[in-house]
Amino acid sequence: MTIGTEQGTSVALTWTRREPPHRPAQAQDPAARPAGDDALERLLALVARGDEQAFAELYQRVAAAVFGLVSKVVRNPAQSEEVTQEVFVELWRTAARFDPGRGTARSWIMTCAHRRAVDRVRSAERAARRDDLAGRRDQGRPYDEVAEQVETTLERERVRRSLDALTDLQREAVVLAYYGGHTHREIAELLGVPSGTVKTRLRDGLIRLRDHLGVDA
Amino acid sequence: MSADLHTLTGAYAAHALSDTERLAFERHLDACPACAQEVRELEATTARLGAAADSPPPPELWDRIRAEALVTRQLPPVVGRGERRRRAGRRGTAAGRRVPLLLAAAAALLVAVLSVTALNLGLLGRADRADRTADLVAAVLAAPDARRVAAQPGGTGQATVVVSRQRGRAVFVADGLPPAPADRTYELWVVNRSGPRPAGLVEVAGEGRVTRLLDGPVTGNEQVAMTVERQGGAARPTSEPVVVVDLKA
Repeated sequence: MTIGTEQGTSVALTWTRREPPHRPAQAQDPAARPAGDDALERLLALVARGDEQAFAELYQRVAAAVFGLVSKVVRNPAQSEEVTQEVFVELWRTAARFDPGRGTARSWIMTCAHRRAVDRVRSAERAARRDDLAGRRDQGRPYDEVAEQVETTLERERVRRSLDALTDLQREAVVLAYYGGHTHREIAELLGVPSGTVKTRLRDGLIRLRDHLGVDA
Repeated sequence: MSADLHTLTGAYAAHALSDTERLAFERHLDACPACAQEVRELEATTARLGAAADSPPPPELWDRIRAEALVTRQLPPVVGRGERRRRAGRRGTAAGRRVPLLLAAAAALLVAVLSVTALNLGLLGRADRADRTADLVAAVLAAPDARRVAAQPGGTGQATVVVSRQRGRAVFVADGLPPAPADRTYELWVVNRSGPRPAGLVEVAGEGRVTRLLDGPVTGNEQVAMTVERQGGAARPTSEPVVVVDLKA
């Protein structure tokens, strides 16, 4: 029995890259990419029909990635669990709205998780404006923490190497935005550069990571 | 499309825009396929960054998620989206376009039939079924429209039925129910205009406590009755009910 996923969007696109593609050999290895993305898409299609078994399997496959990312951004363990719960209930609720033409299932899930985590820290911050940026600066560089943790798996090693390949400003912008949950204005404040610079560093930093990791989308 | 908007793909994919900026950029994305493609790729990239931070959640989190998901209504798909995409992806005759749709519908139906058959044949493990029952009980008890209806006076023990029209199911709850006589068992019935149908046997736990999901659908217009029957239960009630709960009350 096959469950069709809607592939087949082929919007012809041309665009100019701001940097020449830089794809190291290891990034071309298909095994270098997390496996099972097709399976995730099939599972989502089943979840959209209310299949609880499929939902359980989906959870098995992505819970650690979602919880890890949410914890990284939110920090507080109890709140991280709450946000993770919100994320999965949201996946359950909106599975039918997943559009394979607009990216992979994994990307959709992680984007949803990141969005929720960031919403949580921002609303907490709105509620407590007193926590000023200087205070957060003292928490240390998120990048150091990432660097500490990214030892165990190949994927972590690959991501770490790719982060190492960025310029300092690109790396700090990406890490503060993604793992830190900061807006580009906050990052500009933290790094003492104009916010326009942060926006472009975020873009070219992520583009370089994309090329380094050999990301398919 | 301004050059400035064009550079926001990275900040957007990393969720580093303010809400106002995000909404403005999303409007831009609808009109700019190049940016939309770049966002797709950068989101796939940030997904990799996210996965690199993985750490297993505490085991009990799944139970909470499952319980909440079961009482959460799922959004329907956007109707026509698949068809639009098929049209964009392939060029073909009207008939040619219709065939894959019919096939997809047939496949979906087959999947549905197979899943139901698998359930009925008991292919799912016993533990799974027990879990599922516990989940359904939780779902009925937690339903926003759950109603608790007490048994009519004069019956045995204290019995109530919790019914949710939305879930289409009901749960029989009793306290202080004496054990059934030797070689006998309690059996539940759902009684509607066409008569009683069996709704499951009742096992009495310590202190006569019972929480039993009634077999089969319930609309909320029936009566629920409990009788004493032979071990193994009966197809029709053979004695006067010891408990009657009128769901219409």
